[in-house]
Amino acid sequence: MTTFLSLVLAGVSVGAVYALVALGLNVTFWTTKTLNFGHGSLMMFCAMLMVYFASQGLVLALAAVLSLLVIAAFGIFIERFTVRPALKTNNSMGWVVSTLGFGIVLQGVAAKLFGSQAVAFPSILFDSEDFVTIFGLHVSLQYLVVLGLSVFLVVVLEAFLRLTRWGQAVRAVSHDPELGRVNGMPVNAIIVGSFVLSALLGGAAGLLVSQIGGTVDPAFGFNLVLFGFVAAVVGGMGSSVGALVGGIALGVLSKLIGGYVASAAEQPVAFAILMLMLALRPNGLLAQAEATKA
Amino acid sequence: MTRHGIRLLKFGVLAGTALAAMMPAHPTAAQETVKLGFTAALTGPFNEFGEGIRRGVEIAIEEWNKKGGVNGKKVELAEALDDQLVPDRAVQNMRRILDNEQIAALIAPSGSGPTLAVIDMLEADGRPVCNTQAQTPTIVYPKGPESPPRQNIFSLSIDNTVEAEKLAGVLASQYKKVGLLHESTGYGVTGAELIGKAIKAANQEATITSEAYNQRAQDMTAQLTRAQRAGAEVLMVVGLGADLAVIRKNMARLNINIPLYATAGGITPPYMEGAGNLVKGTRAASTKSFGLDEPPAATKTFLELYKAKHGFDRWWGNDPERPQISMATTVGTAYDCVNLLLNAMVKANSTKPKDIIKALEETKDFPAASIRAISFSPEKHRALTVDDLAVYEIDKQGDKVKLTIVQE
Amino acid sequence: MTAIRTTLTAIVNNPYLVGAFVVALAAGAGWMSSGTIHVLSFVLISIIFALSINLLTGLAGQISLGHAGLFGMGAYVTGILAKTYGLPILLAIPFGALAAALVGYLLSFPAGRVRDVYLAMMTLGFGMIFFEIVREWNSVTGGMMGLSGVPSPTLRTLKILGYRIDEVWFFRGILLVTVLTLWIMRNVTQSRIGRAFFAIHHSEIAAGSLGISRAGTKQFAYVLSGLLAGLSGGIYAHLVGYLGPDSFTLNRSIEVLVIAIVGGLGSIAGQVLSATLFTFLPETLQVFSEYQFIVYGIILTFSLIVLPQGIAGLLLLPPRFIQAGSLARLRAGTGSKTMTASSQMGGLLEVDGLTKRFGGLTALNNVTLNLKPGHITALVGPNGSGKSTLVNVISGIYPPTEGKVLFKGNDITGLPDHKIARTGIVRTFQDPRLVPNFTVRENLLLGAHRLMTHSGFASALALPLATREEAAYLARIDRIMELTELTPTADQTVDSLPYGYRRLAEVARALVASPSAILLDEPAAGLSEIEMEHLSRIIRRMKEMGLTIMLIDHHMDFLAELVDDVVVLDSGKVIYRGTIDGMRADRTVINAYLGEEEAVHA
Repeated sequence: MTTFLSLVLAGVSVGAVYALVALGLNVTFWTTKTLNFGHGSLMMFCAMLMVYFASQGLVLALAAVLSLLVIAAFGIFIERFTVRPALKTNNSMGWVVSTLGFGIVLQGVAAKLFGSQAVAFPSILFDSEDFVTIFGLHVSLQYLVVLGLSVFLVVVLEAFLRLTRWGQAVRAVSHDPELGRVNGMPVNAIIVGSFVLSALLGGAAGLLVSQIGGTVDPAFGFNLVLFGFVAAVVGGMGSSVGALVGGIALGVLSKLIGGYVASAAEQPVAFAILMLMLALRPNGLLAQAEATKA
Repeated sequence: MTRHGIRLLKFGVLAGTALAAMMPAHPTAAQETVKLGFTAALTGPFNEFGEGIRRGVEIAIEEWNKKGGVNGKKVELAEALDDQLVPDRAVQNMRRILDNEQIAALIAPSGSGPTLAVIDMLEADGRPVCNTQAQTPTIVYPKGPESPPRQNIFSLSIDNTVEAEKLAGVLASQYKKVGLLHESTGYGVTGAELIGKAIKAANQEATITSEAYNQRAQDMTAQLTRAQRAGAEVLMVVGLGADLAVIRKNMARLNINIPLYATAGGITPPYMEGAGNLVKGTRAASTKSFGLDEPPAATKTFLELYKAKHGFDRWWGNDPERPQISMATTVGTAYDCVNLLLNAMVKANSTKPKDIIKALEETKDFPAASIRAISFSPEKHRALTVDDLAVYEIDKQGDKVKLTIVQE
Repeated sequence: MTAIRTTLTAIVNNPYLVGAFVVALAAGAGWMSSGTIHVLSFVLISIIFALSINLLTGLAGQISLGHAGLFGMGAYVTGILAKTYGLPILLAIPFGALAAALVGYLLSFPAGRVRDVYLAMMTLGFGMIFFEIVREWNSVTGGMMGLSGVPSPTLRTLKILGYRIDEVWFFRGILLVTVLTLWIMRNVTQSRIGRAFFAIHHSEIAAGSLGISRAGTKQFAYVLSGLLAGLSGGIYAHLVGYLGPDSFTLNRSIEVLVIAIVGGLGSIAGQVLSATLFTFLPETLQVFSEYQFIVYGIILTFSLIVLPQGIAGLLLLPPRFIQAGSLARLRAGTGSKTMTASSQMGGLLEVDGLTKRFGGLTALNNVTLNLKPGHITALVGPNGSGKSTLVNVISGIYPPTEGKVLFKGNDITGLPDHKIARTGIVRTFQDPRLVPNFTVRENLLLGAHRLMTHSGFASALALPLATREEAAYLARIDRIMELTELTPTADQTVDSLPYGYRRLAEVARALVASPSAILLDEPAAGLSEIEMEHLSRIIRRMKEMGLTIMLIDHHMDFLAELVDDVVVLDSGKVIYRGTIDGMRADRTVINAYLGEEEAVHA
């Protein structure tokens, strides 16, 4: 029983990370129907940057804020120089390739600046030994923080989308950017904002995951984006609650398979789910089938 | 320059490259030198290994040339190509190196992947090759340890077989139930297999659970709980470094408090820094010479030479008093390889492959930096023995990591 | 500048010069160092591999981030057959290529269902799964240890029919294979298959309306692409003699995508240049490597934006999509004389009780109407009244919720669009959906796709069978272009033409398809006064030819002098059926239009 609960708990926590990544991917999907294929590199860069700032003697909190600011700037850059020009051509290949390219550039730059070896990442919130006991079960506080933060962000994002004027503007832009422009909405600002928000979510996820693993290196993040994408697709692209549900479902499922069937099966199962979902229910398990528009 | 011009230039460059490629690679007869060559990961994410080889080779060659060279000829590193640990690139580079008929001996690439990709080619070529880092046993013994080795391949690396034997010896004497965790590339897979077999051989009653994990995974709960469920009394991890840190932290989160043993990856900086204070008590096997309080003379000589040329850099580590143990394999074995090869040429008074190989096979107790005494024979092309490894225990006082040998 | 491009294009397309170069390369191989031959062999493998992704991504528009999986499939199957089962190379490589083609075929089922980012992710997932399988399936693939001992010229272990093949002869062999592949690929690109790839690339719906099956065409693209990737993988296996999973990671997929993009997606000559460049430079210079990843990344980030046509766009003229042989026959007038009936008889199109609901919205409500041959029926109604939906349901883009569509007495309800097109119902779109980088002539030839009878095999080898038929259709297209007054623009690409011409070209393309019934969705929108008259003339000619014609439009003056009947839709219901004069007097119509009247005449 403890094994089962440990696996579920780990699955929930890992799934919460996938959900965070999925949220970051969703935000730009709302406004431009694009995804940043270099999202993983943003996660990595934020973590490596923070290690660098910390090694220069900055307080951890300040280092984290500074690195998040840099990542936000990257968000603006990505929108302006990789996505916007690519959207002018009526071809999705453009931005897939350009955002992927920018991710690779960041990875190369990080290797050049910080070295290609894994570097130690400090514990920001709690240590891996910190735990609480819930119903007699040993629950790591690091896991709880990731889960709590993901749930919190989902709630905030949903509230933002549904309750605020800006949120409604985002939804309007997502529906029809041209109409939004005609109605005098600051469409460009909303789009740039979504990329900044996406980058920040990526950066935050990067920091959280790195402190759990304890190290970060330039190749970090790529697999996580794939899993984040699986989570987003399972939950329905663009839905925050879906991202959370999808992420946790994926996390728990892969941990249970890893724990009870074979640990080597964890990854292939996730990829197989990805392909199946895309082929059978591309709009997500929760969404109703949408009519294809000519 | 006009756009027009740039275009013409681009075309010119292309045409030029094509033409240059058609020329014979080495048209002029070179000077009378003894030439060595290798391809390794000189740049890219794994350049620690390739650059290490280059440094070791260069230091050794400089020393030989100071002493007057080999049989009156200067020694030259004729080809040092970069493959970034990409097998295809290694194959192309190796082809180019082998084209140079004057190369007398070669150093194998860094890492098992590229080495496996070129090893058949090297064997077919027949010139003597010294392997410094690749740990896969089939590189030297393609048909298993009982069969004869490849005739021209000699190895100084920490071979998986020997490492497994060492660790199994330690584990089998203390524990009955061993949880084996290994990363899923060739290193981890063969390592775990060999350790498992060796433990079984030493203790028939031992039960072993073996779990694979992906190097990049950030959570190992599934693997750890499986080992826990099997009642493991000790955890043996065949890993590289950063992945070990993930496992150690994950153990703490799951409140698993059994001893942790690791392969050489356990005493690399990514683990020792990544796992923070949790590293205390972890045990790992690695080369002995570099960890002794009083290292052998050949090791001392090498360290002095390295210090004089490069100072305390990332190969040496932070402690000026003591180098990192991993330096023995990143730099030390390459240095030893050159010494061995050149020494054999002197003994044979020849640079013909057959003569060098014959001389190498007669090597007896050659004092080296990474391995105290190297002996080869026609059946034995692997220098490392169980006695050349030690099991270290990591301790941490404040920020300073201390390694003590617990099992010689 | 254009002069240079023209010269270079002439050089690249000159069979004698290219032939001489190839012969020189094959002969010169005898004098090259084995390292050089080795790298040149890698160049050839890269070229075939780049052609493979170019076909799928550049021609058919299906992005692939997992092409290493197809390459690896070819390599492993070849390697395993050759090593474990001792199959000779001449069998092992074809089997490897076929295995990869099979994987491509299987991949096309999930992949054919998704597009854009989903496809990118799916192919990425495919590459990952392949890698995992190769790594885990120790007993067959050798796992991480890899598979060594594949007969190889570098190891001097390769024999064909008992003769030892050295590197030079191996190189000559794959040079021949590469040249053949290039020739076939050029033919395919300029054939009905290649044009169909471009058609689904630019608009799957327009392709469907021309009778091109999108699923079938995609499947074929995946199969061909798999075949090429497998071929290059098989050669790779024999060249290197060792296979390890590290050679088939995401990096290789990205590398080949970079090669294809830099070369210029869609251009064959560009792929050759780019593959040569990317294989040679890192090996020869050995300096680029430190920044290799950053350089690759920068290329990916900006190349599609800065240099969308790649090297090919820089150095060469854009490729054309009709075989020179067909054009030569057209000029000589030796196209096949016998052709399928140039215009089929029109047929009765019956719509019976058609209802279409989208979720809660009823777009069409129990619509019943008959369209007669030699008759022009106008479909009018306010915006959102369901006109386009009706066209979309009839042409098979949406399945109806209820009701039936009969054509010439046959039930065609719910058939996929390309099958409906094949029954002779052809349509045009509100926004012209032509292939932008095709000339008008090439676009029109796309209209003949469903009528052509020659096989893909014939066109791949440029057999007279194929060129003769293409020439015949080209001759017909010449006549239709005269009829539609498009002749002066015949050899201009569509993206360089003004809007009015594009509309006319689309109508002309529909005509080339020899339809029995034609559905024109607002063909006059955005046309000038003169162009509109021009269009009226064309539509009248169609009527004379006996076609069944449905015409959606808002311009009452334009319709008045043209149509026989009018059907008025409002909120998905037919509210009037009869003559145009009767409609003007009809109360219900006036009421429905009252708010719209101004907009209509604005």
